[in-house]
Amino acid sequence: MSPLLELRGLGVRYRTDRGEVTAVRDVDLVLEAGETLGLAGESGCGKSTLAMSVLRLLPKSARVDGEVLLDGEDVVTMGWGRLRAVRWARASVVFQGAMHALNPVRRVGEQIAEPIRLHGGTARVADLLDQVELPAAKARSYPHELSGGQKQRIMIAMALACDPKLVIADEPTTALDVIVQAQVLGVLSRLVAEQGIGLVMISHDLSVLASTCDRLAVMRHGRIVEQGPARSVIAAPTHPHTQALAAAFPVVGDPAFRQVEPDEVRESTPLLRAEGLRVDYRGRGGVVSAVKGVDLEIGSGEIVALVGESGSGKTTTARALLGLRPPTAGRVLFEGADLPTSSKGLREYRRQVQLVLQDPTSALNPRHTVYESVAEGLRIHRVPGDEAALVADALAKAELRPPEEFFPVLPHELSGGQRQRVVIAGALALGPRLLVADEPVASLDASVRGEILALLLRLRRELGLAALIITHDLGLAWSIADRVAVMHEGVLVEQGTVEQVLLDPSHEYTRRLLAAVPSTTP
Amino acid sequence: MTSIVWQRRRAAVSSTWREFTRNRGGLVGLVVLGVVVVLALLAPLVTDATGLDVTKAAGDRWQPPSGEYWFGTDHTGRSVLLLTWWGSRISLLIGLTATVLSVAIGTLVGVTAAHFGGWASAGLMWVTNFFLVLPSLVLAIALSTVLPRGIGTIVLAIGVTSWASSARLVRAQTLSVEARPFIERAKVLGGGHAHVIGRHVLPAVLPLVFVNTTLTVANAIVAEATLSFLGLGDPSMVSWGSMLRAANLHGAVSQRAWWFLLPPGLGVVVIVLAFTLVGRALETVLNPRLRGDR
Repeated sequence: MSPLLELRGLGVRYRTDRGEVTAVRDVDLVLEAGETLGLAGESGCGKSTLAMSVLRLLPKSARVDGEVLLDGEDVVTMGWGRLRAVRWARASVVFQGAMHALNPVRRVGEQIAEPIRLHGGTARVADLLDQVELPAAKARSYPHELSGGQKQRIMIAMALACDPKLVIADEPTTALDVIVQAQVLGVLSRLVAEQGIGLVMISHDLSVLASTCDRLAVMRHGRIVEQGPARSVIAAPTHPHTQALAAAFPVVGDPAFRQVEPDEVRESTPLLRAEGLRVDYRGRGGVVSAVKGVDLEIGSGEIVALVGESGSGKTTTARALLGLRPPTAGRVLFEGADLPTSSKGLREYRRQVQLVLQDPTSALNPRHTVYESVAEGLRIHRVPGDEAALVADALAKAELRPPEEFFPVLPHELSGGQRQRVVIAGALALGPRLLVADEPVASLDASVRGEILALLLRLRRELGLAALIITHDLGLAWSIADRVAVMHEGVLVEQGTVEQVLLDPSHEYTRRLLAAVPSTTP
Repeated sequence: MTSIVWQRRRAAVSSTWREFTRNRGGLVGLVVLGVVVVLALLAPLVTDATGLDVTKAAGDRWQPPSGEYWFGTDHTGRSVLLLTWWGSRISLLIGLTATVLSVAIGTLVGVTAAHFGGWASAGLMWVTNFFLVLPSLVLAIALSTVLPRGIGTIVLAIGVTSWASSARLVRAQTLSVEARPFIERAKVLGGGHAHVIGRHVLPAVLPLVFVNTTLTVANAIVAEATLSFLGLGDPSMVSWGSMLRAANLHGAVSQRAWWFLLPPGLGVVVIVLAFTLVGRALETVLNPRLRGDR
């Protein structure tokens, strides 16, 4: 009997304005029924193209070589009618980004029933919803009435609608919080085990794949560089790229990932302090408190991680600390003095405290060169001295060497990691004493995450730069922070040293967060 | 350092130009515009302005086109060719200055409303909507009746009544630029309102304003012709609108003097078409969202 899915010498090329671009080359893969395969790799490595080629969902500009055998039948040469019959009935897809893959103006029940009706079956929406652990009444909801996790479950129910033998899940949990992610992964694993479905799961996060898949394939530049049982690939990676990927997702509690020396944490004087900080938003539905009384202290030269799920108020806290949003109540003290409220005073304050945003691509004006972006702060503050030399110095501190070569470059010509370094250099040019970093590596590829974190640590060591790092990733906190503050629904539920909070959590919520973190050690 | 910046700007301009030349309609419009503008500028050098004076008119009344008078003569014996030629100067002058005024007000109001938000935005948008719902021609007529006659009045009347749509356009674009994270970064770096608007918002909004300008010129020229036709223009100046008014008043139709009606009318059509073609072409070049898959 032929395997469920077999790829033989698969290659995909895209025709673009600048000639042909090869996305996937020479891929051989075999998936037996009931098996789970994880496909790992960074953005642009071709993993999504590979997945879409299985159902021939590629754009018109794509050219496919080789064979894609689904139950022994070649998808590449299949007729249009046959392809329509195979799609969803034999193999289905859980698309990336459930927020955008659902039609916002139709009830989710109708959307789940759609493929069944197209394939001439009878709709059994309630049964499908039950399988993904949602109450049958949710079928009458519109997508905007559901949470991210619920929407993702609807997507899974949709994928299961026609009893496929193969499900392809493309980054199914990327935009979800850890606790929700754990629930969705649980549902997916259970269904695969119960119904004997073959699963191909795509992710950039090795720990997510490790907790759900039997086998792992690591892709780079369109090729599979390493393949094998999940446990051995993660425990003993042979290819350097796999090693880099594995190292990018630190395991909480593993001393190997702790980059801060215990004796490095020294006595420090308080630099920035929030007392009873409270921020309200006045919206149409009345007043919403995003931050409800937060006491937080960051010492000089200290790295504090503010951890929480999306919507927990951590970003609003950072905005208030930066003076971007006036607090409704409470105070923010910098070196013991209240935060200035005048625009002149705030301008002076901004030389001391700088922000690094999550997505470096949008944080840089696409029309400005690297030089202009880094010099922007210097010009605003009319910093005396040779501008070019100061810019070069800041770029060198952010490890962009030789700095002169980066001067005339526009942001789109840089890689994601380099862009984040430019943002950091722009902040460093002003010689700040505290850096507030909002998810500084969340939008970066795994292999450069470690480099950016190492840069933050080195800046602390060499310049005594303190940092407040806002993140949802507990592994990141474990790897570089001195202290951790856990935020939940606008309140700091727990704070203390990293070892104290992450190894011996005292609050229920911290425990739940830690339990939900996918682990590479099963 | 500045040389690098200039080099990049030159490259950007030349790539815009290359993209523009691919649009045949835009290129035709640009050539027509160029010819008209050059002719209008050369008018005092190659023709004699005394021919415009009714008392010094040399020809007979209502003469059809001939070798001597290519476009014939009007009711006072003046050459219609000469009138049309000189009329293009006024039409272009008023069209361009009124547009500059209109777009300047629109950009100022749009950027201010979007950047400051809150009460400033509410108030400014209220005024904008007021100008949008009011029939601008009626308002312009009222304005030019109250104010003393002259070019300045016409420019003011057209400029003050036609800025509302560009204000809304600029406001929308500013709002979308201000939502980008690099604006927040600029604020954290310590940049004030002037810095954010000058360095980030305006450069991103200007291409749109530029496109809007070329499209507004066409409207302003039509508005000028309308006001002059209604007798609200400067009586001492010849413009296409005032020529059509004279033709209408002195019975060009009953004289079957088509040569007095067609040249100014076609002049308006050609110049408006040329500006619109150029504007549309620029729009597709500067606004990549409109380019689509071609």
